Amino acid sequence: MVKFVVKRLLYMIPVLLGVAFLVFAILSLTPGDPGTIILGITAKPEDIASLNAQLGYDRPFFIRFFNYIGDIIFHFDLGTSYQSREPVIDSILARFPNTLKLTIFSMSVSSVIGISLGILSAVRQYSVLDHVCVITALIFACIPGFWLGLMLLMLFSLKLGWLPPYGAGSLRHFILPTITVSMTSAAGLLRLTRSAMLETIRQEYIRTAKAKGASEKRIIVRHALRNAMIPVITTLGTSFGASLGGAIIAETVFAMPGMGTLITTAIRQKDIPTVMGATLFLATLFSLIILIVDLLYAFIDPRIKAKYRNGGKSHE
Amino acid sequence: MVLKIENLSVSYETDIEVVHAVNDISFSIEKGETLGLVGETGAGKTTTALSIMGLLPERTARVRSGRIEFQENDLLALSEREMQHIRGDKISMIFQDPMTALNPVLTVGEQIAEALILHNTDGYTQKEIEARVEETLELVGIPKERKKDYPYQFSGGMRQRVVIAIALVCNPDLLIADEPTTALDVTIQAQILSMICDLQRKYGTSVIMITHDLGVVAETCDKVGIIYAGEMVEYGTLYDIFEGDEHHPYTVGLFGSIPNLKENARRLHPIEGLMPDPTNLPEGCSFSPRCKRCMEICMKKKPAVYENNGHQIRCHLYDAGMQKAVSENRKEAGEDGR
Repeated sequence: MVKFVVKRLLYMIPVLLGVAFLVFAILSLTPGDPGTIILGITAKPEDIASLNAQLGYDRPFFIRFFNYIGDIIFHFDLGTSYQSREPVIDSILARFPNTLKLTIFSMSVSSVIGISLGILSAVRQYSVLDHVCVITALIFACIPGFWLGLMLLMLFSLKLGWLPPYGAGSLRHFILPTITVSMTSAAGLLRLTRSAMLETIRQEYIRTAKAKGASEKRIIVRHALRNAMIPVITTLGTSFGASLGGAIIAETVFAMPGMGTLITTAIRQKDIPTVMGATLFLATLFSLIILIVDLLYAFIDPRIKAKYRNGGKSHE
Repeated sequence: MVLKIENLSVSYETDIEVVHAVNDISFSIEKGETLGLVGETGAGKTTTALSIMGLLPERTARVRSGRIEFQENDLLALSEREMQHIRGDKISMIFQDPMTALNPVLTVGEQIAEALILHNTDGYTQKEIEARVEETLELVGIPKERKKDYPYQFSGGMRQRVVIAIALVCNPDLLIADEPTTALDVTIQAQILSMICDLQRKYGTSVIMITHDLGVVAETCDKVGIIYAGEMVEYGTLYDIFEGDEHHPYTVGLFGSIPNLKENARRLHPIEGLMPDPTNLPEGCSFSPRCKRCMEICMKKKPAVYENNGHQIRCHLYDAGMQKAVSENRKEAGEDGR
C-alpha cells in the first residue's frame, strides 16, 4: 500500500510538469505583453520595453520556462505577480481559504442531499418521491449556475435583504454561493447514486442476502451501499477537485475573492506568475484528491485493495 | 409433512405481456425427503422456488392462485416481516451461480455469520457465532482459517461451498437447491451433490433439488416432478420415473435425449421443437405441439391428472377409454430400451 502511494506521488511530478508547460506555453502564445497591459497602450514603447525587460519577459520562452521551474524546485518560489509586485504565494494563501470553505460547504451539502435522496429514490423506485426527485434533479442539472446565482441574489439579497450580496467576510456570505454550487452537483450526484443503487440491488448477492432473511434496511445499508458507492466516490472526488478551481461562476456572481477570480483576473492581465502559481497549486491539490479517492476505493472494495498490494497486477 | 404446495399459479405481468410461468403446480415433501424438480430452462422451476421463498420480483410477479403450506403456515398469507423470520432460518436456498451469489465486499465469514445473527433467537454470543461459522466452513470442506477471505479469493466450486454454508448454517428444515451444480465442472459437481446428501442425512433436512440433469436426480432424489411449460406433467417416486411403465410423452422424450453409449447412434435424439411461448400457451395440452403421440383432443382440452398409486401423469393418453393408446405407449417406452 505504501509502495502504491509513493508510486502515485512520483507520478505526480511528470503530470505537474506537463501542466506547467502547457499553461506556460498557452500564456506565451497569446498576443500581448505584460508591459503594454500594465502601462496601457498609450505609453511610450521604450517604457514598455524596459518594463518587459525588468519583468524578464524579453527573454526567450524556454529560458523563462526553465527559470520558472528552477525557482520553484530550488527556491520554493512561485514568483512575483507582474501586477501587484507581491509574491504569488501570498495572494494564493489570501484567497484559497475562501475557495476551500466554499468547496467544503457545497460538497457537503450536495453529497448529503444527492446521495441520500439518490438512495431513497432507488429504493422506492417509481414512487411519487422517486419521480419528484428525478424531475427536480433534471431541472437543477439543466439550470446554469450563473443564472441560479443571480436569481438567488435578486431574491434573498436585493428583494428580501436576508443575506449579503457579495464578499466573504462571514459565514452568512457563504450561504448563497454554497446553494449555487451545490444544487447543480447535488442533481448530478442524485442521478448517479440512484442508477448505481438500482444496478446494485438487482445483483444476485442481494437476493442471497434476502434469502438469509435480512430486512430491506439491512440489505441497503450493509450489502448494497458499499457496492454502489464506488462510482459515486469517483464523481465526488472529481467534482471536489473541479470546484476548487471551478467555483469561478459563484465567486464571480457573488464577488467573492477566491482562486477562480484570482486566476481569471490574472489571465486577463497577462500576469503569468500568478496564473502559473495558482494553476500549479490547484493541479497539485487535484492530483492529491484523486489519490485519496483511489485509496478510498481500497477501503470499500477488497478486490481493489488486493490489486494495489500486488502493484497493479490483477489477483484473479 | 414439511411443505405442501397446492395448485400454485404464478405469472409475470407487465404492460406489454403476461408470462404464465407456473400453472397449477401441486406437490408435497415429507421430512428428510428430497424432491427433484426437472425441466428445461424457462419451465418455471426457479419461479416455483422463489414463490416458496417469497422472493418473487415484487413489481411484476403475481401469485394468481394456490397455497404454499409450510409447517402448518400459509406462506403466501404471511407478512414480509414474518417471512424474514422463516427465510434463512427454516427455509434456505442455494443459488445457481456461485460467481455472483456472494457479496464481493464482505468476507465469507461475515456472510455466513449474517444468517446466524439475523436468526439469533437462542442468544448466542459473538464467540459462539464465530465458532458455528468455523464449524460450518469445515463441514462444507473449507479450512476455517479462510473465513477472513473475500469471495474473489475463492474458485467457483469453493464459492458454491460458501453459498451452501450460508444456506445450512441455521440448520433449515427445508433447503431449496436451485441448480446447485450447473455452473460447476463435473468433478466438483459430484462432490457438492454428495455433500448436500450427507448433510441432509445428518440433519434430516428436506430438500427441493431443482435441476435439468436427470443424472443428478437419479443420484439424489426420492421423488421427482417433471415440469413442462409451468405445469407438472409427471410426478412420482424415483422408481416411478426411472423404472415405471407409464410415462408422460415428455418424460419419454427427456430420457430419449440422453445419449446412449450402447447404441451405435450417430445422432442425438432431442425432443423436436421448442417450449411454447409462456405468454401464449397453446389451448389444450402445452406439450401437444411437440408430442409424437398427439391426438385431436390434446389440442382442445387440458388433460386431467391420471393417478396410479401416487404416480401422477397429466396426459390424455391415460384418460378412461384410452386403454389401447396406453398399452401402445407402454410398448414404445419398452422399445426405447429403458
